[in-house]
Amino acid sequence: MGTSSMSNAFSDRNATLASQPPYLYPSYVSSQKRAPTKPLIALPESLSNLKAPVFGHDSLRPSDGDMTKQHSGEPLGERIIVNGQVVDEAGHPVRGALIEIWQANAAGRYKHKNDNHEAPLDPNFTGCGRVITDNEGRYRFVSIKPGAYPWRNHENAWRPAHIHFSLFGAGILSRLVTQMYFPGDPLLVFDPIFKSIQDTAARARLIATFDWAATKPEFAIGFKFDVVLRGDKATPMETNHP
Amino acid sequence: MKLIATGSQTVGPFFSIGLAGLCQPRGMQTAAGSITIQGTLFDGDQKPIPDGVFEFWSTGQFVRTATNPDGSFSAVLRRPSDAHSFEVLIFMRGLLRPVFSRVYFGEASTLNNDECLLQVPEERRATLIAQPEKAADHFLWDVRMQGENETVFFDF
Repeated sequence: MGTSSMSNAFSDRNATLASQPPYLYPSYVSSQKRAPTKPLIALPESLSNLKAPVFGHDSLRPSDGDMTKQHSGEPLGERIIVNGQVVDEAGHPVRGALIEIWQANAAGRYKHKNDNHEAPLDPNFTGCGRVITDNEGRYRFVSIKPGAYPWRNHENAWRPAHIHFSLFGAGILSRLVTQMYFPGDPLLVFDPIFKSIQDTAARARLIATFDWAATKPEFAIGFKFDVVLRGDKATPMETNHP
Repeated sequence: MKLIATGSQTVGPFFSIGLAGLCQPRGMQTAAGSITIQGTLFDGDQKPIPDGVFEFWSTGQFVRTATNPDGSFSAVLRRPSDAHSFEVLIFMRGLLRPVFSRVYFGEASTLNNDECLLQVPEERRATLIAQPEKAADHFLWDVRMQGENETVFFDF
């Protein structure tokens, strides 16, 4: 803590933290020309505790939390309810956290001008949601299960079904963009983005679990996806506190 | 007991579906007391990156802007009262976690004693300093992910 010596001024704490992916992960081909190559510089602790913006519930429309209700008809696909709790590293709930969500439709197609692969768009599905956590840090949204998405990273490459999450916590260091995967997906073991997280337990935490309690009879399958956000301290690693 | 933070994953190429809602509208005019920081985001082949998203942070201020098909970006920002820099998070396809940079827009003389800049090797400091343009309150800041003039990124 405190002033940094030159030796740790050039350390990359996150890379040594196997629960986070490295910048360069060669089998994820597009990391090769985009990952920084020069040493990262230690950020003075006093300069890294910027507070995150606060987003009020008035910034959301009711349909932001139900991606099946944004058009005149129902989207095709398996209806799902995703819910979970957002906590910090101390286990305290992160209240009022904005979560931005985006995903492909049931056919694996994104409603985006650069996704031209041969799968149909669904006129009743945009795949964009926003929710804010409640006083216990909990969130919930309704959607449909996304399909697998083909890409050109390697021969016959398919992304496992996933939902993108963007979260704001207490401060700038808590900012997180991640992806939620589905249990039992056979594509996970081939996916370099998922596998870029070296620690297998940390990797497994990106896979939602089936949630019987959240499942609604004759309506939707429930999944639970809990998220842990970093606090606003610049020293995330316990190895910094021997 | 300390929990382990959830792993980061890339925003991928289609982030605009979810993130555009908070992006600053294009064509914002610079008002009194605001500045514009614009530039281009380049990859290791010095090709523009069309699918990047920038977040400029300062006390009480958050501005998000995505790059255009030609890799250019532009952000209109309120000039902070307590700083001559912004913290910048940059996300893109190909980055499994964001990079953290910092952009300075002050006079060179005001930067001499900057605690953060002093940690940066002298020959790399220029990559963090936006250059004033002819138009008042406009600054140019190109971001290079790799190469000889790779932008400085911070560990966080």
